[in-house]
Amino acid sequence: MAKYLLLVLGAVLVNNFVLSRFLGICPFLGVSKQLSTALGMSGAVIFVMTLGSGVTWGIQHAILDPLGVGYLQTLVFILIIAAFVQFVELVLKKSAPTLHKALGIFLPLITTNCAVLGVAVLNIQLKLNLLESMLFGFGGAAGFGLALVIFAGIREKLDRANPPRPFQGTALALVTAGLLSLAFMGFANLVKS
Amino acid sequence: MKTIKAPFKLPNTLHLHYHKEATAALALEVMPAPAVVQIPMSQHLGAPSRPIVARGDSVGLGQPIAEPVGAVSAWAHASVSGVVKSIGEGLSTSGRPTTFIELENDGLDRPGSTLQPRPDWASADGKSLIPLIAAAGIVGMGGAGFPTHIKISPPAGRIIDTLIVNGAECEPFLTADQRLMMEKADLIWNGIQILRHILGGPRIRVAIEDDKPEAIRAMEKAMARADGDVEIVSLPAAYPMGAEKQLILSVLGREIPSGGLPADVGALVENVATCAAVYEAIVLGQPVTQRVVTVTGPLIRRPANILARIGTTLADLIAFCGGLTGQSGKLICGGPMMGVAQIGADVPMGKTTSGLLALPRESVRLFDSMPCISCNRCVRACPMSLLPCTITSAVEADQLETVEALHTLDCIECGCCSYVCPSRRPMVQLMRQGKARVQLARRQKQEQEKAKGKQG
Amino acid sequence: MLNTLLVPVLVIGLAGFLCGLLLAIAARFLHVFEDPRIEKVTSLLPGANCGGCGYAGCADYARAIVEKGAPPNLCRPCSAAGARDIAALLGVEAKAAEKMVALVLCNGGDVRSRRSFLYNGLAECVSADMLSGGGKTCRYGCLGYGNCARVCPVGAIQTGAHNLAVVDPGRCISCGLCVKACPRNLIRLVPASHSVHILCRNRDRGVMTRKACDVGCIACQKCVKAATGQGLHMEGNLAVVDYTLPLSPELVGVCPQKTIHQRPAGPLP
Repeated sequence: MAKYLLLVLGAVLVNNFVLSRFLGICPFLGVSKQLSTALGMSGAVIFVMTLGSGVTWGIQHAILDPLGVGYLQTLVFILIIAAFVQFVELVLKKSAPTLHKALGIFLPLITTNCAVLGVAVLNIQLKLNLLESMLFGFGGAAGFGLALVIFAGIREKLDRANPPRPFQGTALALVTAGLLSLAFMGFANLVKS
Repeated sequence: MKTIKAPFKLPNTLHLHYHKEATAALALEVMPAPAVVQIPMSQHLGAPSRPIVARGDSVGLGQPIAEPVGAVSAWAHASVSGVVKSIGEGLSTSGRPTTFIELENDGLDRPGSTLQPRPDWASADGKSLIPLIAAAGIVGMGGAGFPTHIKISPPAGRIIDTLIVNGAECEPFLTADQRLMMEKADLIWNGIQILRHILGGPRIRVAIEDDKPEAIRAMEKAMARADGDVEIVSLPAAYPMGAEKQLILSVLGREIPSGGLPADVGALVENVATCAAVYEAIVLGQPVTQRVVTVTGPLIRRPANILARIGTTLADLIAFCGGLTGQSGKLICGGPMMGVAQIGADVPMGKTTSGLLALPRESVRLFDSMPCISCNRCVRACPMSLLPCTITSAVEADQLETVEALHTLDCIECGCCSYVCPSRRPMVQLMRQGKARVQLARRQKQEQEKAKGKQG
Repeated sequence: MLNTLLVPVLVIGLAGFLCGLLLAIAARFLHVFEDPRIEKVTSLLPGANCGGCGYAGCADYARAIVEKGAPPNLCRPCSAAGARDIAALLGVEAKAAEKMVALVLCNGGDVRSRRSFLYNGLAECVSADMLSGGGKTCRYGCLGYGNCARVCPVGAIQTGAHNLAVVDPGRCISCGLCVKACPRNLIRLVPASHSVHILCRNRDRGVMTRKACDVGCIACQKCVKAATGQGLHMEGNLAVVDYTLPLSPELVGVCPQKTIHQRPAGPLP
């Protein structure tokens, strides 16, 4: 049990996908202007990454490895994830329109999110089993969500500040992201890797 | 009857230099009615009154000349007898445009009041006295100007258990209420008794700041043989002790919920001058035609507490006090914390004008406001426990949702945040702008919903 | 050799085919009908999302046009041709909307209009207006703190050196945001083809107006008398242009206060 907890905690805090592995920077900067959209995006990412980990783990172990074409994982995973996200969007639109309205606009963004591909590839590299893969996917996504929500909160506050002109906008956002990344380094020895 | 110390402590207050020594010892002077008075149509909160006299009409002292419009409004009365010279427009002491009725004084003070005196009020039904108070045009004379007849008719289901009489007068420089309590304590006490009768016998708490011991002694003397649950509460002298919500918190320990009214916690606050006006209206049949004004400041030759007619221009008040001793820098109606700077002295005073403060040019400094440095001094100074620094930044950054979420509408505009801000930011002005915009957004939303409801 | 080449090709090919098939089936069974015209109309709109049409952005307006039959000519940034294209697409007749531009109905900058006191507060129109008019003697005139310029999405409004807002008609997309931003209701949308304007909103008597401003309307009524039958009438102490009727440019010379102005007519750049 402690092993699983450490796996999740490690993915959330120590090896945070955004702040320490630098994956998924593009939605991290793109959808962090408002706390409410950041929360929506986090929800969508947690959903897709957890299930995505499971699906890609299955593909790797059921198809790629027996055929000896493990090197194709990047290509195949992109294909699978893109199709999977599209499928989820269709299902949501049909069965849960309200949820689709809340998460729907973020789903296409996730198709090209490198964090999703990253977690799939890492699962294989770290030789995790199915349950561990899905937990790792969930942890990674939760870490992404945490970073996104914290960052959105800071940016909302930054909008009220009056920074010098050259710093306004993306410049200050990047500086802040760097500081946030430094802050998360404080968790470095929390979990022995 | 006994005098007690304020039982509850306020979270945040300022200790200001009160500057009251110039006029605190000066007896009330009656100012002769000026040759011309201008009665403003908005001397109260709510819709401006509508004139019911025309140019050339002859009016008597105390004759009603403007009627209330809508639910929250008040009557206005002629403060001299004479002829209606004109009905025009101009700026009121609050800096907003309003209509004026200009009266030419014939010097006779011919009575024209239509009020029926009720010296037998004690045997009358309390509710039957409320229309009399409305007809006398009585509004909250502490400064807010909320029509008193509405205030003393609490909404259904709300019971007023305590009437707090506000004699705190925490604004620096002003001594109008203090002198009134010292000289007309009996009048005030009689007015309080009438209000108590109307409200069905609530507890009475007369709240006075402890830096006015003479006022406390005068009220103690007047109320020595008072019956019922009556106490004088001696408050610590601190700003803004005299604000309605702060007073209720300090005397009763009850906090008014956000967006609520004093009636929600069973309390009612009336200024001492309002109580005196109630007595004059009910017992003497006199509507509000005059009030006490403190004319003071380093620039006034002979500072004084004046009993002046409503509609007297600030210039006349200054002339009565011997004029100015130098070049004027700023003329403020009210006190320095919440008063409004005037654009000239030809503005007439209204029922809520409690003071006139003239400051010399040397003491008025211009300054550039700098960005907020997040020092949090305003947060520690805010008596309503708001976050003025965050709210004002959000107003500047156009984040209306944040502004609304931070309870900006609860701001009482006391000026503590502006006073302590080391960056000299115009905090109160930003708060007022935020309040105005939140209210505008709410109105627009309501109208949209109404329009949608009609469509659907 | 063959296997090393064939297997990956087959795997990728099959995976792609299966995914495609799955999505195709899903799209068929889970389809939610949406009018394809909405997308076409959206692409014809400018995409500025200014909200000038009264809807929340271009996509919302497109949906309203297709589904609720909203008129296709509400989009002011669209050219008349744009509205025609949309109308043609939907097969309805487009009523040509005349190109409108915003106009500040005040010409009293600090050179011509007086200030009565030194205002040391927020440089912002709403606050200044609440505080005795921010020093401007005229209680109707432009305060010049630029609330309109700040909301203009295309930067068509300048407040300039004399603290007077001026709209560049060439850049104005007539979204109407400045009209709402002005606390003194000085800005109005007028037909771009109309070239003669009365640049004043002061409703005080002539004596008062003269005290406040050199170019205010003093209600002498010379223009109204000279322009009988044209789009000009008095509203109290103010001459007002009726933009539905034409107005002769000769009136510019009639006004003793130079309140009447002519703006270059003709097609706008």
